[in-house]
Amino acid sequence: MLQSLSRAQRVGVALGGLLALVWLIAAFVDPAVYFQPSVLGLGTGAIIAAMAIGLVVAYRASGVINFGHGAIATYVTYVYISLFDDGMYPIPPLPNPVAPIEGLFDVEIFDIPTMVDLGGGAPMAKGWAMLIALLTAALLGLIAHYAVFRPLRYAPVLAKVVASVGIMLFLQAAVVLRFGARAKQADPIFPNDPVDVAGVRINEDRFWLLGTVILITVALWALFKFTKFGVATRAAAENEQFATLLGFNADFQAGVSWVLASVLAGLFGILVAPITGVTPLLFTVLLISSLGAALLGRMSSFVIAAAAGIALGMLDGQLFRVEFEWDWLPNVGIRRALPFVVIALAMVIRGESLPSRGALVEGRLPEAFAPVITRWRASGYALLMIVSFALTVFAPFQYRAAMTNSMIGVILALSFVVVTGYVGQISLMQMAIAGVAAFGVGSFGTSAGMPMLVAMPLAILCGIGFGLVAALPSLRTRGASLAIVTLASGLAIEEIFFNRTGWFGLDRSSKNSDPPEIFGFDFGPTSDFFFSDDKIPTAGFGIFVFVLTAACCLAVMRLRRSRLGEQMLAVRVNERAAAAAGVNVASIKLAAFGISSFFAALGGVLTAYKLGSYGPDSFGIFASLTALAFAYLGGISTIGGAVTAGTLYASGIGIVLSDEYLFDIGPYTAYVAGFFLVATAVFNNEGIDGFQRKQFHQVVNWVRSKMGLGPLDPAALRAGQ
Amino acid sequence: MSDRVLTITDLDTGYDGVAVVRGLSMHVDAGEVVALLGPNGAGKTTTLTTISGMGQVLGGSVEVLGRSVPRLRQAHKLARWGVIHVPENRGILFQLTVRENLELAKTRGKVDVDRAVSFFPALGQLMTRRAGLLSGGEQQMLAIGRAIIAEPKLLMVDEMSLGLAPVIYENLMPVVRRIADETNAAVLIVEQHVDLALEVADRAYVLSHGDLAMSGTSAELMNNRALLDASYLGVETLDEE
Repeated sequence: MLQSLSRAQRVGVALGGLLALVWLIAAFVDPAVYFQPSVLGLGTGAIIAAMAIGLVVAYRASGVINFGHGAIATYVTYVYISLFDDGMYPIPPLPNPVAPIEGLFDVEIFDIPTMVDLGGGAPMAKGWAMLIALLTAALLGLIAHYAVFRPLRYAPVLAKVVASVGIMLFLQAAVVLRFGARAKQADPIFPNDPVDVAGVRINEDRFWLLGTVILITVALWALFKFTKFGVATRAAAENEQFATLLGFNADFQAGVSWVLASVLAGLFGILVAPITGVTPLLFTVLLISSLGAALLGRMSSFVIAAAAGIALGMLDGQLFRVEFEWDWLPNVGIRRALPFVVIALAMVIRGESLPSRGALVEGRLPEAFAPVITRWRASGYALLMIVSFALTVFAPFQYRAAMTNSMIGVILALSFVVVTGYVGQISLMQMAIAGVAAFGVGSFGTSAGMPMLVAMPLAILCGIGFGLVAALPSLRTRGASLAIVTLASGLAIEEIFFNRTGWFGLDRSSKNSDPPEIFGFDFGPTSDFFFSDDKIPTAGFGIFVFVLTAACCLAVMRLRRSRLGEQMLAVRVNERAAAAAGVNVASIKLAAFGISSFFAALGGVLTAYKLGSYGPDSFGIFASLTALAFAYLGGISTIGGAVTAGTLYASGIGIVLSDEYLFDIGPYTAYVAGFFLVATAVFNNEGIDGFQRKQFHQVVNWVRSKMGLGPLDPAALRAGQ
Repeated sequence: MSDRVLTITDLDTGYDGVAVVRGLSMHVDAGEVVALLGPNGAGKTTTLTTISGMGQVLGGSVEVLGRSVPRLRQAHKLARWGVIHVPENRGILFQLTVRENLELAKTRGKVDVDRAVSFFPALGQLMTRRAGLLSGGEQQMLAIGRAIIAEPKLLMVDEMSLGLAPVIYENLMPVVRRIADETNAAVLIVEQHVDLALEVADRAYVLSHGDLAMSGTSAELMNNRALLDASYLGVETLDEE
């Protein structure tokens, strides 16, 4: 066993053993400090373990790392609480087909209800509420399988990750829309009298929960080890075609496992809710720890995943206490960064990639379309720039604001285009990098008083540095594992830097940044400008952002056509083939992460200048996930996609125009974005930009056929003739 | 005695709407070993894949046991009817143990694992080993052994000799004959090794560039060696066939 480990793995195991030994001695010497807190962490551990085994089930079912697992738990738990509290069953927001008529004639015809009364106006019994909630979970599992992941079973990992992120955003938003963002309490299910265990007073329900988790873990282990269903599911996970040849319906089995995973998520959500209370984000935040635990079990071992989850919870409880005890520890969120440490460790100890599925065909990646610039195209771009400039500088203030938001969105989306679109590396930490730069520019510029021409490059360099360090795992991992690592890195950066006061952290409850100025002439959003009205943002800031955005777009355009760009695409398609063709894969990846971090950091700095005063929320993991969602929706692999993404960005020009002339999409942004993100991943992985391009090509061919000319082949269309 | 198990009539099959095999008609009866021969790219594997319901039928029909072959989404049903296909890459699940691989021979009920061992005693010692750790010959034994205990009515074996030493596949070939004789199963083998295949087969079909180049009993083909060689080398004298 030990001989089969690599050197790095052996060092990892030895270090772990040493730490465990030191802790064991400390626990004997001073149990109140070094043992009892970890008993208190058992409850958290049970939750992490419960979600980890659910993740393993979903992975075994369909090779998907389900970022939506926590959101499914949240949704089902809220359904349960709502039924239990007043018998109301929520209906997710649906588009009202008669809304346009109502709007036009200003009448009320029909409203889709937000809730259905299932309890006859009275609260429902716990058992019934739980049954209906779990049926909802089963339904969610079926929909997830049949509508999303079955169509995606041969798709590239990127599409699967994006789809599961879409599910997460969608369900999360549905919960907020129906129940608000406040925490909810639930009535106890397990007996919860306090008991004394090893000198600690702890509520009994933690042990009931722990027992349930262990029981289900053992049951799942036995199911997959001994039953024909379990063995066949493992077979289908390894090779769908072979399983089919043996007479197993791989598809049906995957569906069953999805239902199982969803019901498990829902069940544990309901069981946990009375212990912790729930917020819309609770389970998704815990999911990151669970991902770490599931990764330690290589996404295939229930027992290791559950044990790692429980251990993580205990460690968490322990660190909570130790942070008080050891006051020499720097004031950083070490405890909250624990998932990152575990995931990083998992990557070292279990460095080999996750077991992947053998499929009949591998799906295609979105095309990195690069048009030949003809006179027509160039004039089109020029027109777009002139219109954008005019809107940014001369339009009324609400359009100026929307334009700056959109243009910053374009720069952030470009950071995804380079790293995810061109090189195929899924990064879920781009907003954390933006945050590093944003907090950096506040620290260097405002706190330390450096001039902008020093502070801004310095902050961007900090962002690039963080991006490069966090990118190091990409040299060893790829696909969904990399997505998890970057998600954990983003969380670690958020917790260690943004969520505390002090240098590089918050000033008090927010971070402040002075407006940008060069040689005494400032052009922040509030600064006076020659011809602009004094509404915010003034035209000077608009020009500043416009120039940078245009430069970024042109730079990526050059990059796509450069030798480096070609090498990036080679790495995206096949790393081994690229390496065999003499491409240095490691340096290309690092270059991509560096360039991408530059754009993210620039976007962060501009956000800081725009807001003037900002907090961690703008740069957290959910901001990163939402940013990826918009970038993918626009088109992850083209500059046109990034521009489209920018118009869709929160409070961007597209949203503002829609508010004004169509309907107020504001509160539904995340909900609608989540829905369309899933739809894009399933039906059209090239996003809105690719969709428009194909429509345009069809129109061109239609016109040509009317003129009696033959259709153009794609290569000719690319040349823009 | 001669029950028709597989009937292919005027079949066109291929990929993305392009026919790779054109106008193929053939049949296999119970208790008979039939070889499907031909050079690389002739369409042999495509034909087998189509019989298993994983190909694209563009014209004509494939009937197994009197039923026409279902579409891709229902392909798993074929194995339940008794159509067992040992693919070119053997269909061994590397992550599972040898015993688990054998137990998957049937989708329901108990599986007679010992019967596979009676055909291949070497498998007896390997039961708890992960299949990915087996040698090529052991993997092929596992694949054929699993096919035997699935009690096939139609057994299809693709390129049994691929990647194996002569001493190994010369021992495996007679087993295929034995299955047909003992269980009255219809057996269809795809081979590049012509002499080897004709030794065990009753009849053979020869494909060349997707067309049926010649067919007949093994003895007839052996006697018409020149034509057989020509169909492998793609000589253009075959058009009058």
